[in-house]
Amino acid sequence: MKSNLEQTKIDSEAITGPRYWRSLDELVDEPEFRDFIEKEFPLGASELDGVNRRQFLKMMAASFGAAGLGMAGCRRPVQYILPYSKQPENVIPGVPVYYTTSHPSAKDNQPLLVETHQHRPSKIEGNPNHSPYGGATDIFSQASILDLYDPDRSTKSSQGPRSITQGRVYDLLQEIHDKFLSTEGQGLAFLAEQSTSPTRSRIVEQIKKTFPRSTWAEYEPINFDNPEIATRRLFGRPLRPQYNFRKAKRILSLDADFLNSEPGQLGNSRDFASARRVNSSQEAENMNRLYQVESNFSLTGAMADHRLRLSSGQIPAFTALLAIELLKQKSIDSSLSEELKKNATGLVTDAQWIEECVADLLANPGNTVVTAGSHQPVEVHELVFFINDLLGANGHTVNYLNLPNYSASTIQDLGVTLENGRIETLIIVGGNPAYNAPADLNWLERQKSVNEVIHYGYYFDETSIEATYHISATHYLESWSDGRTFDGTVVPVQPMIHPLFEGMQEIELLARLAGMEETEPYALVKETIANLTSETDKDKDFDRFLSDGVLKNSSFANIPVTVNQSRLKRTVARGNFRPAQVSSNQLEVRIIPSPRMWDGSYNNNGWLQECPEGMTKLTWDNAISISPRLAKDIGYDPEQNSFKQIASKNTATFKMGREVSPLGEITIGGTTVRGPIHIQPGLANYTVVIPLGYGRTKVGRIGKKTGFTAYPLVNTQSPGYVSGAKLNITDKTYLLANTQEHWSMEGRAIVREANVEDYSKHPDFVDKMGLEAHSPPVYGNDSDLSLQEKVVQQPRGASAYEIPQFGGDHQWGMSIDLNTCTACSACIVACQSENNIPIVGKDQVTRGREMHWLRFDRYYSSGDIDNHRREIPEDPQVTSQPVMCMHCETAPCEQVCPVNATVHDDEGLNVMSYNRCVGTRYCSNNCPYKVRRFNFFDWNKRDIGSFYKGPLGAGGMTELEKMQKNPDVSVRMRGVMEKCTYCQQRIQEAKINAKVKARDSGNIKVPDGTIKTACQQVCPTDSIVFGDISDPESKVSITKTIDRDYSVLGYLNTRPRTTYLARLRNPNPRMPDYKDMPLSRMEYENQFGHSDHGEENHEEGNNHDDHHNEAPDENHANGTHNT
Amino acid sequence: MNPIKTAILEQAKPSDLPRRPLVENDRSFHWITEKICGIVEDKTPLWWWVCFCVTGFIASFTGIGLAYLLFTGVGVWGLRGPVMWGWAIVNFVFWIGIGHAGTLISAILCLLKQEWRTSINRAAEAMTIFAVMCAGIFPLFHIGRIWFAWWLFPLPNANGIWPNFRSPLEWDVFAVSTYGTVSVLFWYMGMIPDLATLRDRATQKWRQFFYGLLAMGWRGSNRHWSNYEMAYLLLAGLSTPLVLSVHTIVSFDFAVAHLPGWHTTILPPYFVAGAIFSGFGMVLTLVLPLRAIYKLHDLITQYHIDCICKITLATGSMVGYAYMIEFFIAWYGANPYEGFAFINRAFGPYAWAYWIMISCNVISPQLFWFKKVRENPAFVFVVAIFVNIGMWFERFVIVVTSLANEFMPANWDYFTPTIVDIFTFIGTFGFFSLLFLLFLRFLPLMAFAEIKAVTPQANPHNNHH
Repeated sequence: MKSNLEQTKIDSEAITGPRYWRSLDELVDEPEFRDFIEKEFPLGASELDGVNRRQFLKMMAASFGAAGLGMAGCRRPVQYILPYSKQPENVIPGVPVYYTTSHPSAKDNQPLLVETHQHRPSKIEGNPNHSPYGGATDIFSQASILDLYDPDRSTKSSQGPRSITQGRVYDLLQEIHDKFLSTEGQGLAFLAEQSTSPTRSRIVEQIKKTFPRSTWAEYEPINFDNPEIATRRLFGRPLRPQYNFRKAKRILSLDADFLNSEPGQLGNSRDFASARRVNSSQEAENMNRLYQVESNFSLTGAMADHRLRLSSGQIPAFTALLAIELLKQKSIDSSLSEELKKNATGLVTDAQWIEECVADLLANPGNTVVTAGSHQPVEVHELVFFINDLLGANGHTVNYLNLPNYSASTIQDLGVTLENGRIETLIIVGGNPAYNAPADLNWLERQKSVNEVIHYGYYFDETSIEATYHISATHYLESWSDGRTFDGTVVPVQPMIHPLFEGMQEIELLARLAGMEETEPYALVKETIANLTSETDKDKDFDRFLSDGVLKNSSFANIPVTVNQSRLKRTVARGNFRPAQVSSNQLEVRIIPSPRMWDGSYNNNGWLQECPEGMTKLTWDNAISISPRLAKDIGYDPEQNSFKQIASKNTATFKMGREVSPLGEITIGGTTVRGPIHIQPGLANYTVVIPLGYGRTKVGRIGKKTGFTAYPLVNTQSPGYVSGAKLNITDKTYLLANTQEHWSMEGRAIVREANVEDYSKHPDFVDKMGLEAHSPPVYGNDSDLSLQEKVVQQPRGASAYEIPQFGGDHQWGMSIDLNTCTACSACIVACQSENNIPIVGKDQVTRGREMHWLRFDRYYSSGDIDNHRREIPEDPQVTSQPVMCMHCETAPCEQVCPVNATVHDDEGLNVMSYNRCVGTRYCSNNCPYKVRRFNFFDWNKRDIGSFYKGPLGAGGMTELEKMQKNPDVSVRMRGVMEKCTYCQQRIQEAKINAKVKARDSGNIKVPDGTIKTACQQVCPTDSIVFGDISDPESKVSITKTIDRDYSVLGYLNTRPRTTYLARLRNPNPRMPDYKDMPLSRMEYENQFGHSDHGEENHEEGNNHDDHHNEAPDENHANGTHNT
Repeated sequence: MNPIKTAILEQAKPSDLPRRPLVENDRSFHWITEKICGIVEDKTPLWWWVCFCVTGFIASFTGIGLAYLLFTGVGVWGLRGPVMWGWAIVNFVFWIGIGHAGTLISAILCLLKQEWRTSINRAAEAMTIFAVMCAGIFPLFHIGRIWFAWWLFPLPNANGIWPNFRSPLEWDVFAVSTYGTVSVLFWYMGMIPDLATLRDRATQKWRQFFYGLLAMGWRGSNRHWSNYEMAYLLLAGLSTPLVLSVHTIVSFDFAVAHLPGWHTTILPPYFVAGAIFSGFGMVLTLVLPLRAIYKLHDLITQYHIDCICKITLATGSMVGYAYMIEFFIAWYGANPYEGFAFINRAFGPYAWAYWIMISCNVISPQLFWFKKVRENPAFVFVVAIFVNIGMWFERFVIVVTSLANEFMPANWDYFTPTIVDIFTFIGTFGFFSLLFLLFLRFLPLMAFAEIKAVTPQANPHNNHH
């Protein structure tokens, strides 16, 4: 045989086996490949034009990964980022690597741990190394990963309509630098978003030094500066009040949504929940008590034990009355009282409420917190600090953190400068002032008057379109930076992926403008961190910082404060505490940050758009929330469920399952905004609430035509609320996508509640509620078995059928504590992100087809079920319940599936095999909890809005969007049913790891706490506990032994693996609004109340007919708790 | 025509309570043959062509609706949140219910020797088969992935995955397919002698071939007749339990689920009664126009109409009783969820549907107590239409109201059909009528071989020997 040692050109036709490329270049140069790219990634292919190959490769690095090139196309970012407690060389394909970073925001960078699959970030988790947040995140951090893969994001910089190269951007920055260097920045102005980054503030100092005559202004449309301004006034230095809700036994919140929208809410929620967690009836006494005075019905208000509805404009007067009462009860300083009285007359409120509340606060010296919402005037905060001082809370439960010296002008200052016409170049670093600047600034006009406006932003938005240049920003998951959490702990911002598009990092942009020698963000951040620590080995230190994700001992120092009495008196004398007068003709408008869109920057985020707002349950839109009282005043007829003026038009709220709302017009001083009206119980009677963040005009496909903007009502004086508004109802209507039609629990024992006092006396109250108290006990004679025995042996109980034995190594179960859950809904988005749950768009939500595996059921209760049926209550209590698949041991869904697509595994999971599902939907019909979701259309294959066009509709997921998907979870096609899996993929991963570790030992049990479901992991209040219930030591088993543990609809013998801990309320018996049982419980007792005969039912199963006969007639007449 | 004189002397006539003859005016065998075969053999009338085009057009609604659904998804229907079964299942149960009368008439009435069945059984069986065909469309197309519908059949496969035999939907598959098969067999078998007659009378080649093929070599020999009658009896015996089982099993779709309003033991008998009720309603709806168009008054006599009306009245009253008992049990059972479900049906958001159901199903058939009403074909026809409407609403009430407002109030919602729902359903009436028109044109619409056996002259001794 003749051997040819010479390397010959391989005839490509002759190759039959797999082909290998010697380099990517060789592959990319082939025309077929370019064709393939063209077909496969139209979005990416367009980027080929006018860009050299090297740049193309850079941009498409991650897309290549998806194209099947495997590791060859995937690259780690150029700088070294360190994985969380794992070395990068251990990267195993298919095994995710976690990196630390943080989600930047104005006051609180949330420390994160990002799951990456081959350097493609796929899921965001909280970093457990930061103990105050304990590995939780808020809903925005969860959803922020979707923005990274948003096909509507700005992909390149532009000048007017023309796009410009990155090189041109560098030149531009250089030109600006050079131009203003000589004038010391005369004519140069910056408007930036607030940032917590020490590196950025370092560069800003540099900019100020280089351009001393320039203006550096910062603006956040939703501003939390008032408490800090108040500290400067009262204590003489900028401090940050931080509340310790863990220690606080009594909390009085004045219009503060501290569990949700105030900065530091994650830590607040966590602490608050820990002071509310009750593990036994003996502990119940120790539960904290929350007094909430507010105008809006916030999620914090929903947690309150006593809630007083008061317009925001009356809160200052209320605070004054509170201070007066406190001074009176402490019998000190009458002069201050006099002064306060003078300034705060005219508020009509329940004096006893204040009196008893103050008495209760005083009874817990050093263990109280009084806090006011950041939108309240500075004087209110000063007074609150003083009240905390009087209560002995300062230094105990209220701490003041020392803020670093940093100053920036406000947008008002900048507005004045712009008006004077002295600015030639305005650089807007992030933010979207053309959309969200206060209306009285007339920002757009002023921006247009500037010669050269450069907008640096992640989206090409309202501001970009009016700017000379738009510079494309990178996502924070593509950027280097750093930041601080609310308590000041320094956290990194690390890139997870090389920028997908031509974007610039903020640090680099500013460094280049400042003319710094070092412009590489990585080096700049490293330098900052080096300056912050005293370690000698800076490299090692930095590495540890990155891998830990937090810089140890870097939080702000806690400063002891003393109230300066003379300053306080001055404040009291000067401050206006007079209550705003409100009526149906003179309404107050409370403008809140949208709990989903925030200030509007998340407007193009589909997960947030579709996540129902916790209280209103609205998606895809905001609305003008009005109180039921106001609704009646302006002609709403609860009997007809429609507004009289337009009754002829058949307009109503909730007709045929859809919220068809009349459009209302809010007018204040000539400015009118128009939006749908939503009747929201629990609001102060004459306060209407409008969330910001909607009604964007230049936004991507998701945000288009969602809601209306309330920014025209925002002014620089009082951004949080304005009064003197008029509401006018037009005869037009608007369809709102509301996910929950029925507000009442109908007196059913779905969410079970008791007062602390009642619980202490009747620790078994949950067992006395619901049909379980009447029906034969599910486990019959086996009721006394322990949870583990029940789970492993599966006793038949009273059932006629043999119950399958599962027999797996673990038996999974979950417990949800309704007493600590705040309904923040971060779990909904976490679940969506983890499990590749599609969004379906507004139209489909109005058709009841949202896909969330986890939902929140929100019920209002007024205590009077009959009246409740007729009209929505004005001042209800609210209870929210997260509901997902309960993984019933005897699952009704499994029994009815004709093709065995949903079955049980041996570890008690109700598993769903999508491949087998033909979509009869019978399982959903037979599910009493209705947790199953059906793919009515190809949600993943079609664009929102094209579902009805079938194959003719625009094809859905772009390559970019596909990159977001979790590779461990299949993407479901049309026609199949889906539902919560208890994060099956996480369970499997943990089991595989346990098996690998076990080797020959045979101990393949997954240790407790290894597996966290996505919802559990994100939960700031640790309300969700998941684990092995066949292990008596596991946390979930211990939680389930608490006497408040109950199964929803347990009488059906579904034996759900997810059980709930009943909710407790801790009202003060001396308060005027005290009720001796929660209102939902009162409704239950009214409806189905029973006396003690439930007990004998438990003993004997046969003797039930008598009780059944009596049950409907037994109402509260013999209820034990009737008032 | 020359009527045959009775062999018994007038004065010796034993009975003074004469039954109305099943064939009036002493029509001869030949007359009957001519009458029925003539319908098939005569030139196609213009009205037939007009109806054929109209029903074909209407039937296309279903075709288009289903094609649209196939290309996009089940979402084109109004299904939503808790109401995962909507019109599709309502229509399925509705059509299956209608399909009950045919086999009941041919099987149960055959076993009970109700001779009046002979003149209506053929048409009623055809109605059954066509109704089952319409019914079959819906469960097939309502599933999310139609192309995998065959997974519902227990076919051996490499994965060893079998259908879930515990699921009522699986029982449905067997029940409905068995019922469909047996009904077709029964119908066809009963037709053989008549087809042979058509064959023998045929003059055109294609007719000779077509009917010859269908007649399967029937020669009318004694042996044939004896085998035929035995087979017919056996099939009647086989079909009788099926009549009861099909709707019982359809009712299990609901009764076995544990939704309040579905989970009741009364459902099987109540469904069967309802099905027979609706079936007879549909028989009346078809037979009355047929009689008028083809002038069949001598064969479908007032006595026939009377019998059908009485059965309708009886089953309608049973249905009404079932409605009452449901309420009573809901109260007596003291399950608040169930109590609510029934109160909600009558007074909740779907009260309109409930009261349509009550007035059509319970009140309107009560008119059949009056002979005057039964003897007025127009009136009977109107009541029959009401029965059809009422029974559709009964299924709507059961399926939709129970689903829309069940255990957890947060899930409650309201179902509204889409235009696709409506047109797909309307289209099935077109499809049904189209098939029925074809039946009229090409097959003997009455079992004339059997009718001849019940004519007065076939029984000259009038059962007194």
